[in-house]
Amino acid sequence: MISCILARLRELRTGGASGKVVGAMDAIVIDNVQKRFGTVEAVRGLSARVPAGSIYGFLGPNGAGKTTTIRMIMNIISPDEGQIEILGRSSLLRRGNRIGYMPEERGLYRKMKVRSMLAYIGAIKGMTGREARAATDRWLGEIGLSAWAGRKVEDLSRGMQQKVQFAATVINDPDVLILDEPFSGLDPVNLDHVKGIMLRLHQSGKTIIFSTHMMEHAERLCDQILLIHRGEKLIDGPTQEVRASHQTDAVSLELESDDRFVDALPMVAEVIRNGRRMDVLLRDGSDSQELLAALVGRVRVRAFEQKIPSLHEIFVHMVGGADA
Amino acid sequence: MRKILKVAQREYIETVKTKTFLLSVFLTPLLVGIMLLFVGRFDGGVGGPQPPRTITVLDLSEQVAEPLTAVAAEYNASRPDRQIRFDVLEPPENPDVRIEDLKQQVRRGEIDALVVIDHDVLDDGDGARYYSFARTVADLEMYEKVYRLINEAVVTRRFEAQGVSPEIVSRLQRSIPVEQIDLSSKVEAQRDMPVMILVPFIFVFLMFTGVFGVGQGMLTSVIEEKSSRVMELLLSAVTPFQLMSGKILGLVGAGMTLMAIWGAGAYLVGAAMVVSDVVSAAMMLYFLVYFVLGFLVVSSLMAAVGAACNTLKEAQGLMAPLTVGLVVPMAAWFYIAQHPNGTFAIALSFIPPITPMVMVIRLAADPELAAGQIAATIGLLVVSVPAVMWASAKIFRTGILMYGKPASIRELARWIRYR
Repeated sequence: MISCILARLRELRTGGASGKVVGAMDAIVIDNVQKRFGTVEAVRGLSARVPAGSIYGFLGPNGAGKTTTIRMIMNIISPDEGQIEILGRSSLLRRGNRIGYMPEERGLYRKMKVRSMLAYIGAIKGMTGREARAATDRWLGEIGLSAWAGRKVEDLSRGMQQKVQFAATVINDPDVLILDEPFSGLDPVNLDHVKGIMLRLHQSGKTIIFSTHMMEHAERLCDQILLIHRGEKLIDGPTQEVRASHQTDAVSLELESDDRFVDALPMVAEVIRNGRRMDVLLRDGSDSQELLAALVGRVRVRAFEQKIPSLHEIFVHMVGGADA
Repeated sequence: MRKILKVAQREYIETVKTKTFLLSVFLTPLLVGIMLLFVGRFDGGVGGPQPPRTITVLDLSEQVAEPLTAVAAEYNASRPDRQIRFDVLEPPENPDVRIEDLKQQVRRGEIDALVVIDHDVLDDGDGARYYSFARTVADLEMYEKVYRLINEAVVTRRFEAQGVSPEIVSRLQRSIPVEQIDLSSKVEAQRDMPVMILVPFIFVFLMFTGVFGVGQGMLTSVIEEKSSRVMELLLSAVTPFQLMSGKILGLVGAGMTLMAIWGAGAYLVGAAMVVSDVVSAAMMLYFLVYFVLGFLVVSSLMAAVGAACNTLKEAQGLMAPLTVGLVVPMAAWFYIAQHPNGTFAIALSFIPPITPMVMVIRLAADPELAAGQIAATIGLLVVSVPAVMWASAKIFRTGILMYGKPASIRELARWIRYR
């Protein structure tokens, strides 16, 4: 709830500051969208709202329908049914330059020089030649590739090319960034680098939507998430709310000395031991505070925390073990 | 429009920068030059010196051998690099056996060729036979020469038989020179080459090379964008139609640059050779229109082909019908140039992808071509360019993000019908 309010506050703030997002609470509205490829239903009845100014994660395993949804948002393919509204318009055409899109299929002109490549993308996104060149130099500095500006794209390593691709996405300072699997193929150092840039852009008021199948990235970055599986929405909303709503009556414990007595406590339903750690599942109607009271005095408690499930756990829980 | 121009600009610069482009700027005219030079020097012989040939002669008439040696000597004096020697044998007692024996020698390659001259060759009825065992093209050519020389010898002998001196005959038969002067040149000048017939060839050749260059450029460019996966990034900034139009514009620009360079070069050479008046300014304008329209049609088609394929190899199959179509005017140029107002030429003029090529040949061959046909064909192209671009854009839009197996013609037709 708090994050929701914060998100709204941020929307209002950015709307007021830049004057760009005024009157649009949702950057993107997906309304009951369907897409079939032959006999495969890639996306089924998907609805979601991406609040302006949020950092929004499209989560799901490979083949869940994330890329298809993103391509429909980008108007690269059209939905069979349903509507997609982007920055308040049903057509992307007039909004094209305000959206930065990093496709899952990465690619640059291999024979072009890095600087010309970025300046070209800037130009076809509506910048003047001078603006595009200035932005190119600024972003090459930002991603640490200034020294490579005059080299051909094919001379760059994969990670470097990926960063150039990222720069191409943001070159014209779009309001909304749509990144399809932005972290795949990045080493840990570059991954942190890109994440850092994403967070900074988010703080400056951009709406960022990205897809990933690696839920731990989303958990740390996103204030909103959408969990898709086999083309259908499992759950969406602010990350903390989603996690809190799946909170089980479980406590994660770490005790000093003998902890076998815990199994016999009246409020305990089940104990799962994980090395020195133990997850304690409470009986219905029991309170974790009762457990704490029962522990204190009998043993030294090193750690005691209400267990909040990770997105991965929520996902596994929702689709069932076999499907995950 | 600005985005289309940006795409066109990149396409143009990246195309003009390639080695292929630079090579074709210089190599193609060189090739044409060499060909023209070859045509100019072509006099019926297979070029280059050849080793002397010895032809065994069995003269059963015992009349021809002597003048034959004389005409051969005359021939050899004029062609020091292609000598022919006649080795005249004594008439045998049993000619049939001797002939069989000599034929065997020809087969075994012991003698180059055998000529048997019949007994009554000077009278009507009898003739001669030439036996050879062809191993090279030059062997086949030899017959023509031997035929000429033997006839010359026989005719000489006949005159002698009638008491007419061969010297008188040759003096009376001497041909007079007829100077050929073409008034289309700035200066009244004698021409060695039939320039008029070469003009259509040069233009259709330019167009053919240009059309294929532009088409190939489009194909390579689209396939590169597909295979390097840059397509989707581009589509986040421009619509498929903008992308395709920009590419077409850029490549047509590159094609026209090539034509302009070649045209300027040809003009300079033409001016030096004093033949530049052959092509009038009005005709150049028509050519320009046909070139641009032709490039537009072909590059649009190639954009669709490229979008439907993933590799150049796959594209070969899909473009085969187009390639065959474009080769037709190239193969038939001589016929069209000779009959620019024939039914065949007129019919071909109204098949859009090849219209420009056919019209260029016809116009070059007959500058007085009916204005109505020029207008009709240009009209046809002006209508078909947007139609082809529209259909290609539909295929392009669907194809560019399709990976996997190339689409069949039937699938392409379905893509066109997509909303």
